[in-house]
Amino acid sequence: MSQSSLKDKSPFSPLDRAEVAELMESRFGIPPATFDIVSFYRKGRNVWAFSLPEIPDLRCESVGLRFLSVRGKVPKPTTYALQLFGQFATKNYVDLSADEAEKFMAGDRQMLEADLENGYVVVSYRGGVLGCGLYARGELVSQLPKERRIMNEGAKTCSSDGDLE
Amino acid sequence: MPDFERFVETMATPLPVTARINTLKTDRDRLLSRLEEAEVPFRPFTWHPLGLKLNVEKPGNLVENLMGHIHVQEEISMASPVVLDPIPGERVLDLCAAPGSKTTQIASMMENRGLLVANDPANSRVASLRSNCERAGAINVAVTRYDGRRFPSTKFDRVLVDAPCTGQGMARKDLTVLDRWSLKRSLGLQRLQRGLLERATDLVKSGGTIVYSTCTFAPEENEAVVSWVAERVPQVSLEEVSIPGLENSPGLTEWDGSRFGDEMETCARYYPHQNDTGGFFVAKLIKG
Repeated sequence: MSQSSLKDKSPFSPLDRAEVAELMESRFGIPPATFDIVSFYRKGRNVWAFSLPEIPDLRCESVGLRFLSVRGKVPKPTTYALQLFGQFATKNYVDLSADEAEKFMAGDRQMLEADLENGYVVVSYRGGVLGCGLYARGELVSQLPKERRIMNEGAKTCSSDGDLE
Repeated sequence: MPDFERFVETMATPLPVTARINTLKTDRDRLLSRLEEAEVPFRPFTWHPLGLKLNVEKPGNLVENLMGHIHVQEEISMASPVVLDPIPGERVLDLCAAPGSKTTQIASMMENRGLLVANDPANSRVASLRSNCERAGAINVAVTRYDGRRFPSTKFDRVLVDAPCTGQGMARKDLTVLDRWSLKRSLGLQRLQRGLLERATDLVKSGGTIVYSTCTFAPEENEAVVSWVAERVPQVSLEEVSIPGLENSPGLTEWDGSRFGDEMETCARYYPHQNDTGGFFVAKLIKG
């Protein structure tokens, strides 16, 4: 099989950067220029962020990082997308107290009074982004994947099978 | 080996807990003040601005680890990307990438630009490689799963061959590696290591850099591999490996009756007692 025929079969289809950037701007107020060095692709029900405007001529298991899940009604940003770009958010962003952050990191839900619209929000602690939360009716639900959670005791370390959210 | 007694003493002590600051998600000042505020005891490396010794039992439980602001990584393993010296925008190949500590270090040195192909043939190891790349926020990484000896023809500016090895240098972490070592295992791996490094010389463009590293002391897997490839591929020449602030010994010019040649002195052997790390070997080859 030639290299170019492999490429033709690439499961990654390019997306319009402006469209994805606009989504991040309207929900989180992230300036579109933040994504100037990023190219977006769709594969299955996920949007991927990658550094290059073309997929390399290789049989790729993955390129870049999983950025959005588009399986629900509303696109859901991944933990890692928000850890990387969430620091530029100007709305739907909340910085938790130590107690609140502990609950969030354990994967729990909690009542929280905050200036947030219903939907997915950037959750940070002392200015560093922890990940994605779902805010509705005054309640914040942690979206941290199981293997990323930190419990008080017996929490896992860094090796895992990936983001299973 | 210099100072064999101190080597034996050091091998009996556990490895310090170390981590690397991930500049894709934070910067050194911000991270250090976070750790200070949280009263996490740490000491920066003397030779690398992004390396930290952490005086904690479970670094995986630090909030900064969850955020991906630090990556728990053995100190001496940070040496081979430093020697590789990738530049933002280049095309770089990490031929034996899993679980991705060096991959994510390279991605951060490349400032998430250009292309970093992270290859590993083992399905089971690719999962941790992908997970670590995503956690680091590395968006310039493409993960592939080829047998490195048959990686498809395409050109790179730099190639890292951090080869599978008998891992004697990791004995401070896992003593059983020494029991499992045998000359037969070293020689079996040598065939693979030679194949990987030889393929890397095809994959690097003219003027490009190849770095070969292992975490073992066995000359069969180090100098015997590099000298064999250097002899077969006349376009490559060796360049001195020297990292300011890290003590090393030169590569061996002969071992057990085999002559490797004087140019093997350009390679670096890092013994555990020299820098209080694991053991490591690094060679740098330039393709003419």
